Amino acid sequence: MKPDAVEAVIAGLKDAGVSIVCYLPDSLLKELYVALDADPEIRTIRVTNEGEGAAICGGVFLSGKRAALVMENSGLRAAIEPLARMGMGAGIPVVMVMCYRGQLGENNWWAIPHGMTMEPLLQAMRIPYRIVEEASAIRRAVAECYAWSYASYYHSALVLGGSVVR
Amino acid sequence: MTRYECMQALAARLRDELVVLSLGGSVDEWYNAAPHMRAASLFQQQLGCVTPQAFGLAAGLPHRRIVSLDTDGGMMFNLGILATLANERPENLLVIVWDNACYLSIGGPPTHTASGLVDIAAIGRGAGLEHAYTAESLADFDALCAQGLATAAPFLVVAKVEAVVQPGIRRKHSDGREDKYIFVRHVEATEGIVIMGPSEHN
Repeated sequence: MKPDAVEAVIAGLKDAGVSIVCYLPDSLLKELYVALDADPEIRTIRVTNEGEGAAICGGVFLSGKRAALVMENSGLRAAIEPLARMGMGAGIPVVMVMCYRGQLGENNWWAIPHGMTMEPLLQAMRIPYRIVEEASAIRRAVAECYAWSYASYYHSALVLGGSVVR
Repeated sequence: MTRYECMQALAARLRDELVVLSLGGSVDEWYNAAPHMRAASLFQQQLGCVTPQAFGLAAGLPHRRIVSLDTDGGMMFNLGILATLANERPENLLVIVWDNACYLSIGGPPTHTASGLVDIAAIGRGAGLEHAYTAESLADFDALCAQGLATAAPFLVVAKVEAVVQPGIRRKHSDGREDKYIFVRHVEATEGIVIMGPSEHN
């Protein structure tokens, strides 16, 4: 992940008032995790799977603090169950930041399913998302995810693709 | 011992804590056993989410005691949260696991603890929790709750309870969405904060 993109994500999270980030690390966003861990204004919580991270973020929402779930897009598959129950059943929102593994240009066979499933799953869940390809678009996109999720009380997602992560 | 009598004992110890609880028979039981905690309790229907949500609350409100009322089936659904709690060490989180060795709300098929081999408290200790205990009697359960509510570390109590639902209790009518609003408004009022505020325009 490129340094200007890392800076833009963190700046966007701070603009939105995020103080807690749950993550399960992956390789495309590895620089982001290091920067988040080092930031004194953000508490990072490492989780054992993305579903657990989504549920923790839901609890943070109920506390009045703001959280983000950062992950590889394969984590969306692991998180669908708690996301469906929290979002559709109770209106407890989770804002997600994920990389676009499996996008055109992917050169790992194991990552192809991540690309094939991400957008259909987001659409099936009726989760609005924005795929950003340029670092200059990240900060505003993060702000708009939080604005939408705190108006709808439903999940939203920022997807980091293209030259932002490679 | 029954879950309901354990709930009555726990309820008597709670005042300004926040509670997150699981699905099934425990919903109506807690609704009846702890009427003074009704608005302070998040009634959800989320297997595997209860203790993670409670931990999220604990992380967001570190000055406030949070109680997770989880189940054997719910905890087995996501054992990883025990390792996360061990690493994160929230000082304000008491986790109760009602272990009746079955999925009672769907008629009672066995959970993994029914074999007698699976020990959730031992799993908690293995995950790194210093305080993870099993309660076999009401007196033990009550004493562990007292200890857990006063300990500045994550505290796990696995209550071995009978597979029965308290007869003759009132049903809770609200759904998860209404319950969330009730809970959020309670947190807002008691913390003096706004969580779900007004839109830009009405």
